[in-house]
Amino acid sequence: MDFRFDLIADYLPLFLRGTLITIEVSVLGILFGTILGLFIGLGKMTKKKYIRLPFVWYINFFRGTPLFLQILLVHFGVIPAFINDTNAFIALVTALSLNSAAYIAEIFRAGIQSIDRGQMEAARSLGMNHKQAMRNVILPQAFKRMIPPLGNEFVVLIKDSSLGAIIAAPELMYWGRAMQGQYYRPWEPYLTTALIYLILTLTLSYVLEYVERKVKTE
Amino acid sequence: MKKKTLKATLFSLVIGLLMLVSACGATEKATSGGTDSKEKQKLRVVTDAAYAPMESMDGDKIVGFDVDVLDAVLKEAGYDYELVHVGWDPLFVELKSKRADIGISSITIDEDRKQTYDFSVPYFESINKILVPEDSGIQSGADLKGKTIAVQNGTTGQAVAEGILGKNNKDIKKFENNVLAIMELLKGGADAVVADNAVVEEYVKNNPNKKLKVVTDSSFPSEFYGMMLPKGSKIKEDIDKAIKKVVENGTYANMYKKVFGSEPDLKELEKQY
Repeated sequence: MDFRFDLIADYLPLFLRGTLITIEVSVLGILFGTILGLFIGLGKMTKKKYIRLPFVWYINFFRGTPLFLQILLVHFGVIPAFINDTNAFIALVTALSLNSAAYIAEIFRAGIQSIDRGQMEAARSLGMNHKQAMRNVILPQAFKRMIPPLGNEFVVLIKDSSLGAIIAAPELMYWGRAMQGQYYRPWEPYLTTALIYLILTLTLSYVLEYVERKVKTE
Repeated sequence: MKKKTLKATLFSLVIGLLMLVSACGATEKATSGGTDSKEKQKLRVVTDAAYAPMESMDGDKIVGFDVDVLDAVLKEAGYDYELVHVGWDPLFVELKSKRADIGISSITIDEDRKQTYDFSVPYFESINKILVPEDSGIQSGADLKGKTIAVQNGTTGQAVAEGILGKNNKDIKKFENNVLAIMELLKGGADAVVADNAVVEEYVKNNPNKKLKVVTDSSFPSEFYGMMLPKGSKIKEDIDKAIKKVVENGTYANMYKKVFGSEPDLKELEKQY
């Protein structure tokens, strides 16, 4: 197999620029996705049915349709409705945030509901009110259980940001495909981008492992 | 404990990469070994059927001018074939690894591509045109300076745009296909689309309510479509002969009239032989 490293060297500045955009959209996606997901997860746990319903359908919609489609809809439909122009970067961040929020909401709910009912009862009988019990007893324990699935979601989000290439968001995959389009050689751009994605996700995995070790109690 | 996991990760990474590399080598060997007995075999033809009127899907059938030409030429050359829609980027991968025998998808013959692939003699003349909103002030390629241009990734439309704005300029937005590029134009994300005349003219014809017009810049060079073949393909001679025959005996002009409603300029085409 002839492998032309000189072509990769040529494209490296663009790959690095793309990597930076990939990191930016991923970080923003994780950030907004987590905030939004927290809110939606709490919404889904409320007792009143008519308050719960919109949150349930939010999750249904974003988990039940492909992210690929959501990106196209946001790029050509939602964003132009607000700014009367297209903006691939904003569209990608928006789509990733909305999508990951649906998954993070469920991770959140599962984490909180996995804590034994007795913990709340014990905290309440010690004289804490519901809010205090939540903050000091339930959430710290739930958070620990949420780290692995959250990490999973973040890794998936980094990889899914590659779908931004479809709307010409200049992230890593976009430049990989641009290089493929220019030279008509598949292996150099695809293996290079694969390696960069691997570096990104492995780095994140190690960070999460570190966090997990830090909050370990026993 | 920590050291062990690190070691294990590295080990599995290396194994994974080795497997990947050996898999690439293996498929290439297997297919090139099989080419000897290809004479009686059905030819595998790949296309990206999203380029009306040249090739598009009609239900599960692939139709269009390229398909008509392919059929006439391969009949003339005496080959059986199977036409498969694989998409634009995979098309090149399949030809490079010799999994397919012919690629036909309005592929412009150019020097860069000739380094990696073989081409038949040209069978179609094309020119890039500029698609802009009706009220746009853009009247030529030179007016595109400083504007945002949407193109299909890897096409000669992209090459023309890069000729005006510079290679990998951030104002050139490269899309998966021309439909998405045109969507970007309609939504205000681009000032113009540069693409083959057949495509932009067909789009304007089919979508009169979108208020778009086609701008011709006569300084854009003519291009010629060819059938793309793997490097060193043994069927090139047969295909070339058959294309010339189909053009000479009037079959080509008939098919052309049926799809485009006008006479083809065969002189330009035959000059290339």
